[in-house]
Amino acid sequence: MQNVLSIIFCLSLFYLAVTSRVKAYVTVLQIQGAILTVLLLYPLIEHFSVPALILPATLFIVKVYLIPKYIKKILVDLDIKRIIEPTIQQFSFLLLIIFTMTVVFVATNILSKSTEIETIPFASGFSAVAVGMFVIIFRKKLIIHVAGFLVLENGIFLFGSTIASKLPMMIELGSLLDIFVVVFLMGIALNKISSTLSGFEATALRRLKD
Amino acid sequence: MDMFFYSLAIQLAAVLAVILLRSNRIASAAVHLLLLIGLISGLVPTLSALIVADAPVQNFCICGIPNDLFRFDALGLYFLAIVQLVAIPTTIYSYSSLKHYMDKGKSVKQLLVVYPILLVATQLTVVSNHSILFLVCWELMSTTAYLGMVFEKEKRDVQTGSFYYLVMNHVVVFILYVFFFLLHRQANSWLFSDFHVSPDTGSLFILLYVLALVAFGMKAGFMPFHFWLPRAHPIAPTVFSSFLSGIIIKTGIYGLFRTFQFLNPTPEWLGWLVLTVSMISAIFGVWYALAQHDIKRLLAYHSVENIGIIGIGIGIGFIGSAYHSLPVQVLGFGGALLHTLNHAIFKSLLFIGSGVIYQNLGTRNIELMGGIARRGRFFAILFLVGSVAISGIPPLNGFISEFIIFNGFFTTARELKNYYPLLMLVSTVGLAFVGGLAVACFTKINSIMFLGDERKEIKHFHISVYDYLSLGIFAMLCAAIGFYPQPFVRVINDVLSRSFVPGNSSSALLSINWFYISLIFLAILAGFILIYIWKRRINKKYGRKISPAWGCGYERLNPRMQYTASSFADQLNVISRTVLGYHKRIKPPAEIFPAKNKFESHADDFVDSKIIMPWFKKINAFISRIELLNYSDIRYYVAFILIVISIYSLIGFLWI
Repeated sequence: MQNVLSIIFCLSLFYLAVTSRVKAYVTVLQIQGAILTVLLLYPLIEHFSVPALILPATLFIVKVYLIPKYIKKILVDLDIKRIIEPTIQQFSFLLLIIFTMTVVFVATNILSKSTEIETIPFASGFSAVAVGMFVIIFRKKLIIHVAGFLVLENGIFLFGSTIASKLPMMIELGSLLDIFVVVFLMGIALNKISSTLSGFEATALRRLKD
Repeated sequence: MDMFFYSLAIQLAAVLAVILLRSNRIASAAVHLLLLIGLISGLVPTLSALIVADAPVQNFCICGIPNDLFRFDALGLYFLAIVQLVAIPTTIYSYSSLKHYMDKGKSVKQLLVVYPILLVATQLTVVSNHSILFLVCWELMSTTAYLGMVFEKEKRDVQTGSFYYLVMNHVVVFILYVFFFLLHRQANSWLFSDFHVSPDTGSLFILLYVLALVAFGMKAGFMPFHFWLPRAHPIAPTVFSSFLSGIIIKTGIYGLFRTFQFLNPTPEWLGWLVLTVSMISAIFGVWYALAQHDIKRLLAYHSVENIGIIGIGIGIGFIGSAYHSLPVQVLGFGGALLHTLNHAIFKSLLFIGSGVIYQNLGTRNIELMGGIARRGRFFAILFLVGSVAISGIPPLNGFISEFIIFNGFFTTARELKNYYPLLMLVSTVGLAFVGGLAVACFTKINSIMFLGDERKEIKHFHISVYDYLSLGIFAMLCAAIGFYPQPFVRVINDVLSRSFVPGNSSSALLSINWFYISLIFLAILAGFILIYIWKRRINKKYGRKISPAWGCGYERLNPRMQYTASSFADQLNVISRTVLGYHKRIKPPAEIFPAKNKFESHADDFVDSKIIMPWFKKINAFISRIELLNYSDIRYYVAFILIVISIYSLIGFLWI
């Protein structure tokens, strides 16, 4: 089950590479959030306890409801163009992601022989981190940078949940709060700079340098 | 000790109050009230735990389960008491100072949020037992102090000064990480109570000491690392500069004491190293202070001096530890501990006093002040109390701690024979010299600021009752420790025997005859009062006549022609011209009727301008030469991060 979900997670990463609409990014984020929630709920079938529900519930609220809603609100409020502006072709971006993923999966497979990790979720998480960074590097729009950052976070979350089930819940909750604050701040920043800088592109930020 | 955590909760509730209350004034009142309640309710259990000598070391309990995160041992309690004791009057002053900002129409929400967090983080720092928790609290304390410091961020010097502070903090935390990781590897535990490294480990022992001395020394402001103090102190709002100088630099001292707990006994050369560095800090700190014109900068250099005096005590203690001599250790460490408390008290008094003057005159330049005594007589007396205390003159507290350190010198000379008598003689002369220069410096600022005529017209001079209350509490504390040192000395003796010097039965501290000192001090006080009464009676009998200053026959005197601070200190500054970088710029008048002329005197900090700054510049030049990283687009940075991560992963992969 964990492997199936992880692979669906990976497929959603491919979709990120080929889509050219901002809204699609938000949908992908929602899907990823839902996958992570199910992943966290799955072990509860055997050992159920109420406190263990806190984390998935918060995750669901933050990642599936609050953040996408907030990003959509920013899109409407600031009247950001719906088309992303890539700096490289969709196809080469896709190839890059496939290449990275291959390397990560092969490397993880070799690693799994010497250490105790579950290959597929770990590799999916790691690829998501890489893809998140790629998205930030190869896209100009600031709002897409936020999405890239969130994908990166999802990746960390995924392999965090696989390598150590001992990871304290407080830390996971803390990281959730952390990303929510980041998104929130980014929204405020975008709102603030919308009056002086048009286009919401990272290149425009260059002018802010003193 | 549960009470302590409730008191912290009350203090943190102050932050909540800022968020809930919209009006600045109401929020300020609520915050300060909550803080005062919190601090007082925290101080009571701390003091009672400190005074009850046989109290066992208490660990913090969450719901009855003992937890190792916090530990209330004697040393932690002592510093906790200092923090809480000094924070109370500072908070009282903070209320009136923030009112001043609000009258100008500035929003003070930033300070209101930051100040309670700073207080709580500082209190947690000195009682945390877990290294990581300690580092987190330490970082929180430093960062909140920084946020308070940049309150007037539109000013240029605030931007640069606070930047130095920030950089210093980063370096300190980085070194501390290495320090604690090394300790962890040695002790296999993160807890302070488990750390112990014996000198047999050789190079590791030395490395740990060097790291601790650099990190904590930088925070405390010992001489080569003092560069941030004169930059950061003047620019912060008074509450923060007073807290910075009174408390935060003391956490560096706290760190040094803790290090000694982990790593003892110390080798002899280490004692000498600390003693020499501290002596240099003390002498040059006070000498640089003498040449300053900015009152807060001057006080910042005095902090360097006093940290030097504390360091001298620690150095003596280290030497005592090397020779396993109990009396030397007790006197050295005892003097250092008491001076830490004393300095926190009188330096806060002086900083707050300078803040009050700044509020009223709008300048920190001593050369523009004058005649303040006529505006606020009582205020002048309170400031004088602080000055007497910091100069180490009887009958106030500064004398007591320096007296203990002097006693430490003599005891070292007597106990350790060998070449020690001669070296201790040199140290004694050095410390006495520091005291002399401090007297000169505070004579300078008291006479120039408070006496004479107003150089710059004072339109409105107002000192609120909160200011008086705050200054009054500090002055009372100065007098209390001065006139009746027994209880304080006993507490310090307990702290020492409970945490550093086990089996301290001889108690060299208590054998000093404190009763006679109190008696002599009272006699001095009585003498003062008698002279004053006598003067009053003479005035009554013969009347009092005020005549203008004698101007060598010159008729049209004006306030600008008074003796200035620079002229006062000139003779002393000229002696040390080369080291001090003191230079005057004046064109001597050539004709009979000289044209307009001007005079300028300027003092550079030798260590600062000749050692630290060129070094900084070199690093800066080197980094800006690496054009590769000079992109301003965020995407390139992310790309670099990705590349570095890939390289690390590759290395890690191949390693396995």
